[in-house]
Amino acid sequence: MSEVLLEVKDLKKHFPIRRGFLRRRAGAVRAVDGISLQVMAGETLGVVGESGCGKSTMGRSILRLVEPTSGSLKFQNRDVMAMNKSELRAARREMQIVFQDPYASLNPRYTVAQTLSEPMEIHGLHDSAARRKRVESILDRVGLDPSYSRRFPHEFSGGQRQRIGIARALILNPKLMILDEPVAALDVSVQSQVINLLEDLQQDFNLTYIFVAHDLSVVKHISNRVLVMYLGRMAELASSYDLFSNPLHPYTRALLSAVPVPNPRAKRERIILQGDLPSPANPPSGCVFHTRCPLAQDICTQKVPEWREADANHFVACHLA
Amino acid sequence: MVSISLYMGCLFSQGFFVIVFAVYFPPRQDAKEPIGVCPVSNVLEVENLNVEFNMDGKYYHAVRDVSFYIEPGEVLGLVGESGCGKSVTSLALVRLLTKTARISGSVRYNGRDLLTLSDSQMRQIRGDEISMIFQEPMTSLNPVYKIGSQISETLLLHRNISAREAFAQSVEMLKKVGIPRPDDIMDEYPHQLSGGMRQRIMIAIAMACNPQLLIADEPTTALDVTIQAQILELMKGIGSEFGTSTLLITHDLGVVAEMCNRVAVMYAGEVVEQGKVDDIFYNPQHPYTRGLLNAIPKIDAESKSRLQPIEGNVPSITRMPRACRFAPRCVHVMDRCKVEPPPLFETDDEHVARCWLNEVKEA
Repeated sequence: MSEVLLEVKDLKKHFPIRRGFLRRRAGAVRAVDGISLQVMAGETLGVVGESGCGKSTMGRSILRLVEPTSGSLKFQNRDVMAMNKSELRAARREMQIVFQDPYASLNPRYTVAQTLSEPMEIHGLHDSAARRKRVESILDRVGLDPSYSRRFPHEFSGGQRQRIGIARALILNPKLMILDEPVAALDVSVQSQVINLLEDLQQDFNLTYIFVAHDLSVVKHISNRVLVMYLGRMAELASSYDLFSNPLHPYTRALLSAVPVPNPRAKRERIILQGDLPSPANPPSGCVFHTRCPLAQDICTQKVPEWREADANHFVACHLA
Repeated sequence: MVSISLYMGCLFSQGFFVIVFAVYFPPRQDAKEPIGVCPVSNVLEVENLNVEFNMDGKYYHAVRDVSFYIEPGEVLGLVGESGCGKSVTSLALVRLLTKTARISGSVRYNGRDLLTLSDSQMRQIRGDEISMIFQEPMTSLNPVYKIGSQISETLLLHRNISAREAFAQSVEMLKKVGIPRPDDIMDEYPHQLSGGMRQRIMIAIAMACNPQLLIADEPTTALDVTIQAQILELMKGIGSEFGTSTLLITHDLGVVAEMCNRVAVMYAGEVVEQGKVDDIFYNPQHPYTRGLLNAIPKIDAESKSRLQPIEGNVPSITRMPRACRFAPRCVHVMDRCKVEPPPLFETDDEHVARCWLNEVKEA
């Protein structure tokens, strides 16, 4: 786990807000605003945050599915930002994504076999007989009967569809998989089946995961390291154990304390954050969290806290931590 | 031009909507006249509730023999996965299902059987004595009405008060649910508010007439955790302040553990286990309940262990197993489970489970 697979530096994605007759640029939604991190080969990096914090946009920017505004991306020491279209397509063989909604992310007019062979066709891999074989073996691997390959998406349950989505990402033998809320749409009993499957696949194929989710229990379970995002920025990054046992950022603490625990006798001190997430089009000055932070002081409204290593491999952006 | 005519069309249909309401809501008379009084202390008693839907000429049970009760001031959790019939149950209670649904059994609210009331009697109860909060705060609020008129609407319908009084009481309600600048918000539209604020508005509407029973269907599922924590806190406070009984429908066992006094676990249209919250979490009797508890990753787990999923999928309504509906996924399945539907066995005080494994214990 020592080798760096992906290096992200100061990644930004600002969506322009256009107003008026001439569609003049009137501002920007700062969806992702300065993310820098390294992802090691074979690890699972969990990314958590509330809706609108930019975690999905970050995942998509890494693949350049949405074009980043600025920043640098290095995948296996190759500069992703400098790639032209065909180079990028070739690189994407090794970086795949699984989307949240298993209903919306599969083409309803394609059979499972068509959906799964399409990536191989695009990349010109194998002849049709070999492709069919590959489809069947991958279906079997994700826990679906190979005979299902002639069926259409509507014939499957949510959990099965998500398995198809995972199979599609897996079929090109990628190194990095971005999992964007892969279990959020699933029921609890099925959710754990898919989590176990993802863990097994990671072992067998030596995959690296970026696991984007809002469910902290799931992220804790699956991740080696966890990044907490707030309003497009990094709040805290640490090993899963350190983050959950010793959260340093007040936002992380509030987030952890807000999760309802399935244990009626658990007595915990709950930090209730006041108010809502500010708009990323007009983020607060200084530390973006200061408007909701229970510990906020004068410095927080004026100065952007720097990203620093508070403990060994435990990074935080807070003046007070 | 097109957009203007569309807009006019909207206005027209809204006006029409209001007229229909005016016709269908007669002034309130002898509304509290009890029908078939029986001396019970429970706010709600549901007995053998069955809901069937017609699909291609055949009726299928979406809810089967569901029985539960709610005591005054209590929070009962109705838990289960999607499609288990928890929402259908709640809609059947307040008679909001389509007329094509076949409903049988009894739903006694303070001694009155809601299933035998006329439509107009039912309307007088709904929103006044029994109110509801739904999952999607955006879709349950009317986008073209101001917040103020949506809250006062309930009050004007059920209370004999002037619009001015209704407005004043609505502002009071907004204060109670923790809305900042309540006077301004009264004049705003739902789209101007965030999800958490909208859910607060829904709670304000639901609580406006001080109901005895609140039905909350996944009230925090669409919200972020920090907002969910705010809303749960608010619901707890409001519930004890008003002395309201609550039926809380959710799939989140964490929310159940936090909010409920008792729990009914549903699977494939049936209640498979029911008991006090401690019994359900620390001494679950039904294999499905145990399976659910083992399947969820726990944030307070000390070490990382593999999740134990429940294999298989929820059966479809048209292909229900004949006897025990959980049998095809159950790790303890016996021959008997496939032929004989298990009844509810009492395993403890106020604790029942629909599983043959509990029969021995009962004897």
